[in-house]
Amino acid sequence: MADKTAVAQIDLTKVKPYGDTLNDGMTEVAFTLPVPYGDEASEAAKILAKKMGLDEPNVVYSKAMTPEYTFFVVYGKCQHTVDYTTIKVAKVDVDVMDRLECAEYIKENIKRPVVIVGASTGTDAHTVGIDAIMNMKGFHGHFGLERYEGIEAYNLGSQVPNEELIAKAKELNADAILVSQTVTQKDIHIDNLTNMVELLEAEGMRDKVILVCGGPRISHELAQELGYDAGFGQHKYAEDVASFVLTEIVNRNML
Amino acid sequence: MYLLEELSQKYKRISIVGMAKNAGKTTALNYLIEEAMDEGLTLGITSTGRDGEGTDVVTGTDKPRVFLDTDTIVSVPTQLYELADAGLEILKMTDYGSSLGQIMLCRVASSGYVQIAGPVINANHIELCEEMLALGAQMVLIDGAIDRKSIAAPGTSDAIILSTGAVLSRKMAKVVEETAHTVALYRLPVLESGQDRDLIEEHAINDQIILIRDGKPVLLDVTTGLGAGSILDSEIDDLTTHVFVPGAFTASTVADINPKKLKNVTFVLKDPTKIFIGATLWGQLRKKGLNIKVLENIEVAAITVNPTAPAGYRFDHRELVDAMQKAIPDIPVIDVML
Repeated sequence: MADKTAVAQIDLTKVKPYGDTLNDGMTEVAFTLPVPYGDEASEAAKILAKKMGLDEPNVVYSKAMTPEYTFFVVYGKCQHTVDYTTIKVAKVDVDVMDRLECAEYIKENIKRPVVIVGASTGTDAHTVGIDAIMNMKGFHGHFGLERYEGIEAYNLGSQVPNEELIAKAKELNADAILVSQTVTQKDIHIDNLTNMVELLEAEGMRDKVILVCGGPRISHELAQELGYDAGFGQHKYAEDVASFVLTEIVNRNML
Repeated sequence: MYLLEELSQKYKRISIVGMAKNAGKTTALNYLIEEAMDEGLTLGITSTGRDGEGTDVVTGTDKPRVFLDTDTIVSVPTQLYELADAGLEILKMTDYGSSLGQIMLCRVASSGYVQIAGPVINANHIELCEEMLALGAQMVLIDGAIDRKSIAAPGTSDAIILSTGAVLSRKMAKVVEETAHTVALYRLPVLESGQDRDLIEEHAINDQIILIRDGKPVLLDVTTGLGAGSILDSEIDDLTTHVFVPGAFTASTVADINPKKLKNVTFVLKDPTKIFIGATLWGQLRKKGLNIKVLENIEVAAITVNPTAPAGYRFDHRELVDAMQKAIPDIPVIDVML
């Protein structure tokens, strides 16, 4: 049996979920199984939750989605812990400036318009990511690059072939290219992003542009592996991207 | 087989290029590092991606760690420095940034495991290699990332080691076929020296597309071959003999050119890494008479095979080596898992 007594102090080397009391491990999971609704279905969900490492699983909700599929919400006590003290996450090492500070930075340090071209590439039809960063209205109260003074932002939209994005960047003599990938099924984003880098290298453009990728499954570590200068995941806004691009222009002496 | 000894006599910079992710690039790197330790050769090690971390950031599979001997020169970004188990002496902070921090050049002071990452831009790798050689490395190994093949470009390294393996396909014949195709691409015929080559080299400075028409160069006012297929189609006439495309040569560019015109000219590319045409389409185009020559091709020094795939299936070690060697008789094939 798992230890049910709550330990009253936080041990960062053994972190586990908090529910009612510290370290009780209470976790909620939701999933759908391809089985008809019923007692057997709930039992299957419980067994699966146990295999996930949840002790004392409790199916608190289940509903037939179709005659053959059932949706579940399961509570249970997570048996695993994480050593928080050893975690290291790669982050963009840049001081984030807000929109007005960016405009000021361009005026003082770059002294010319900065051209940024972006698109959601390949088969990806989702514009949500690139729009959040580039469109004037932005996202979540953070205005997009189109509203930045000193930045000429070109949002090419979705399903843009890598070749077209590169041709456009070359035509506009872009400082930076932003590539957004929302769909990541079967790691399609990896193939797409890799192809982009390889084409840029072949075109002899890679060292002349700042190349940034973004999307829900993009991290800085992945960016390094794929050959991008930076990767922005969730909870990043136009100012994060702009600050990185502008600082990089100065660092790389692309004035 | 003492692969490294032979290589070190011929080449200063070698890239390890993967046919796919999990083809065994890092294992090949470790194989060479071990040989270098036995022979007392001082290596410089860098990577276009990241090496030596426990888990692959793309696939989540286990990755081999990298153990470096004393005196090895290695590129390490600031954010990975602390993660090294070896003692690292920082020799130099380079100008190259990476998403894992500024790249530093270090000397291994006491041997141990190191997480390696280098610049993400190939042009920077060329300079970095020079610096490593100047700092005392007798030979530099550049480990590739995923299946990024641009690192194979002849400007970046003197020769490549091509890593391939079971991960490509469950059918051994397919693994061999695809590898042989890549090797064939890398050994495309080189445009022989003479008037045509002189004309191209003389006018290739501005990265423009060049046609040789009736023995005279015609420079097109196009900055990229991407999306320029229809322009090429209208420019190629009966007197055109050569078309030089400085950048990428892609399937969509070829698709816009009339097949009849396609077979009457020779396309000239800088090197084989400019080709972005899949194996199947390549075969079809060759049958239709597509003729490609390069200014420089790629020296494949060795092929390493990994008979195990992360998906769980595996080939017989000997069988795979033999099949590969039969398909590519004049390049040494090495099983790095033996």
